[in-house]
Amino acid sequence: MAAVLPVGSDLSGAMNRFLKTILEKDIVDAVLMPMKVPSGDSFAWIIMSDSSIVDDAEAMAPVMPVQGARALRSLTRKGEGSIRVLALMRPCEIRAAIELSKLGQVKTENLILAAYDCPGAVPMDSFVSDPSSGEDLFRKMLAGEDVSAGEVKPSCTSCVEFSMTDADLHFGHFGLGGTEVLLIPGSPKGMEILEALELPADRETSIWDEAVRKRREKQVASRDAAFEETGENIRGVQGMLNVFADCISCRNCRAACPICYCRLCHFESETAKQDPNSRLDSAVTRGGISLPADRMLFHTGRMTHMSLSCVSCGQCSDACPADIPVAQVFSFVADRTQKAFEYSAGRNDGDPLPLRSFMKSELSGIHEMVSDAEPGGHAHE
Amino acid sequence: MNSIVMKQDASTAIRELLAYLLSSSRVDAVLTMRQVPETGSCDLGLITDPSGMVEAEPFLPVMTANAGQALSSISMSGKRIAAVLKPCELRGFTERVKREQGSFDNLLTISSICGGVFPLEKVISGDLEKLVPRYIEKTARAEAPRGLRETCKACEEFVPMNADISVSVTEHGSLMHLHSDRAEEYTEGFEGERIEARADQSHIDRMMKSRSAAKGKLFQSLEKSSGLDGLVDLFGKCVGCHGCSRVCPICYCQHCDFESINFDYNQPYFQESLEARGALRLPPDTILFQLGRLTHMSFSCVGCGMCSDVCPVSIPVAGIFKKTGERTAGLFDYVPGRDSEEPIPVMVFKEEELGDIG
Amino acid sequence: MISDKHDDFTPRITSFLCKWCSYTGADLAGTNRLQYPTSIIPIQVMCSSRVDPVFLIKAFLSGSDGVLMGGCHPGDCHYETGNYHTRRRFAILKEIFDSLGLESDRLKLSWISASEGPKFAQVSNEYTEQIRKMGKNPTRKSVFL
Repeated sequence: MAAVLPVGSDLSGAMNRFLKTILEKDIVDAVLMPMKVPSGDSFAWIIMSDSSIVDDAEAMAPVMPVQGARALRSLTRKGEGSIRVLALMRPCEIRAAIELSKLGQVKTENLILAAYDCPGAVPMDSFVSDPSSGEDLFRKMLAGEDVSAGEVKPSCTSCVEFSMTDADLHFGHFGLGGTEVLLIPGSPKGMEILEALELPADRETSIWDEAVRKRREKQVASRDAAFEETGENIRGVQGMLNVFADCISCRNCRAACPICYCRLCHFESETAKQDPNSRLDSAVTRGGISLPADRMLFHTGRMTHMSLSCVSCGQCSDACPADIPVAQVFSFVADRTQKAFEYSAGRNDGDPLPLRSFMKSELSGIHEMVSDAEPGGHAHE
Repeated sequence: MNSIVMKQDASTAIRELLAYLLSSSRVDAVLTMRQVPETGSCDLGLITDPSGMVEAEPFLPVMTANAGQALSSISMSGKRIAAVLKPCELRGFTERVKREQGSFDNLLTISSICGGVFPLEKVISGDLEKLVPRYIEKTARAEAPRGLRETCKACEEFVPMNADISVSVTEHGSLMHLHSDRAEEYTEGFEGERIEARADQSHIDRMMKSRSAAKGKLFQSLEKSSGLDGLVDLFGKCVGCHGCSRVCPICYCQHCDFESINFDYNQPYFQESLEARGALRLPPDTILFQLGRLTHMSFSCVGCGMCSDVCPVSIPVAGIFKKTGERTAGLFDYVPGRDSEEPIPVMVFKEEELGDIG
Repeated sequence: MISDKHDDFTPRITSFLCKWCSYTGADLAGTNRLQYPTSIIPIQVMCSSRVDPVFLIKAFLSGSDGVLMGGCHPGDCHYETGNYHTRRRFAILKEIFDSLGLESDRLKLSWISASEGPKFAQVSNEYTEQIRKMGKNPTRKSVFL
């Protein structure tokens, strides 16, 4: 059941008014939402306590320049304060925030996480080069019109978690023809907001449910196709080498990733630094090496460090100056590592992080998998 | 100056020299750009086997990483290395040596009068095949090829400043100039006619003319964004990925201050900021980072352009840093990378200077 | 972005003062009951060279109307050469501000010794007056900084 927010002419505008109202009525102390930068070609996260500033902000931005969970991390990393903040973000941002809270990097006690039905995002580079086309495109995406898949962020075209995440409050608008938004409480915190606004959650959601279900079906199919393609591309060492051939080791993927919260990445630390002499020795062994070295170690290492929490937001691909499909590869791997523990990153269901917990009897097949493998061959599935 | 006449094109000649240095055991390894013929993908190779030299493209107009940065720790291995560096890479390396991040002791540096490099996006999109032949043609005539990095178009430091060997390519042919005893010693026995010659000054002058004009234009376009509003215009869309500092040959800190705990804030900070302004950007300090980095390294900026290339939101970082860097270095008549003996301005001082500042 | 130019506002001048000279000079001004404005917000540092220019930029971007850096006179540094380094860094910072068209007059470096209580009061008064004329720092209101 949900409460109803009438829309009028403009979906985003209606959500803005809602956020303004909860600020004016002191239901929250601040709101975190995107605002277009003065140069007009991007958006920034702005936390605002002054309700008049909400007018200049945009509830749903066409792009995701900074993963929202990173913004929340910067706000609460040093601990919870007394101000109550409502953050309106894309579902993948909320999911990343939930993962970060499990990792102790976001404190959610005084946060109200709000999400909306996400139609996907416009890739950063195309938006920066032509903001007005990007905004048109996003308007079409919001209205549910068909847009060519190549124009949308690749991760978004295969996203199956575009709605109904474990947010405290969810703005559902798919299938409602742009005339109203459903306010779906996902937690007591979300319920409190609706109560404070005296909005009864008494609306049936079946039309919206059906629209979400249909969209998910389509998205699942496109995700499966993407996984299949990626799986083919990265098969074996040579496959990985090909996909990452243009990597220049700038580590933008790591920096843009909401989950990679380490201040000093292991792969940039003294520990990971190879002694120059042994580096030369390995060059001699191979006849030559590529510099900067250890690219494969970095990418596969990062997979072991964060793929269990990967929310497939696609920020890594967006930030890659070499156009490597980092996100597709990481999503593909994450799907498998998370399935191994029946874990789904971003769910607030009390499941502990797989790498922070264990069961005494589990993964019984793992030894056999190794010992049965033939030398140089593949392990059994 | 003692010079070697190159019969073939410069790339082939240097490839042969590098192979000669390896096979005669004068060096243990060679650092050069390479290109995989089948895929066209480029990287910096540290090559030890002379047969690996077939993939070497020493003068490929591409910079996947500033080689000065890549060479940094390798140069301290004690092994002898010959490195082909673009002038700005050599300058970047020189700045690193001043910061004890590299050593010239066992290094033979080879550089060339540089026509500039193409932005990474052009390399990735596979345009190189078309671009390179035109590039070679144009640069041989001292003309500016189209589509180069902005800071390359505007680079006036295209003549190597302190290389052991420098290569100049003019319409009259290619020459290898030997600038140091080490160069003489390493090239001993390498085939090729020795003549007394310098790089063609009129060629350099013609290049300089177009570079200076481009620099004027670049700086002028940046002047449009001035003042606080201009600052927000320039850096407002920065996503704080710090990619610019990671690929910077000067930014050598393993743990950048701006990523340290010094820039984490507790709740009272956010509360006070909200009370004062009504709104605050998150994560905070995105613009502080840019200004702060300018104070930390701009006087050593060699204008290589890596920062702009990796910026996910196309901020003209390199142009801004080059423009401001020329002014901060200019305060001390400092030219980054000119001479490894020249101290970094912030490490030294004169008792009598800057009288009007305090 | 709002630029308020009032003559009647009390500027906020974040002041980094070295323990050995400028801060002691400020103390002396106080004990001598010399008048200096409340606009000066002192932060004691062990040496002016301890101050990374980034601190000054942070103060500037956070809305300080002026940023004052006080150190020992050249040659008098308690640690012998700290203030010479400060002088270079400060020159670099000013140059960066000028190159970007930012108001570099909102940054000031002043040498004030431990015995110069009157100079501290004078510098504080004059600088406050100068900043008052410049108006509030527009960074106070910009949400994108």
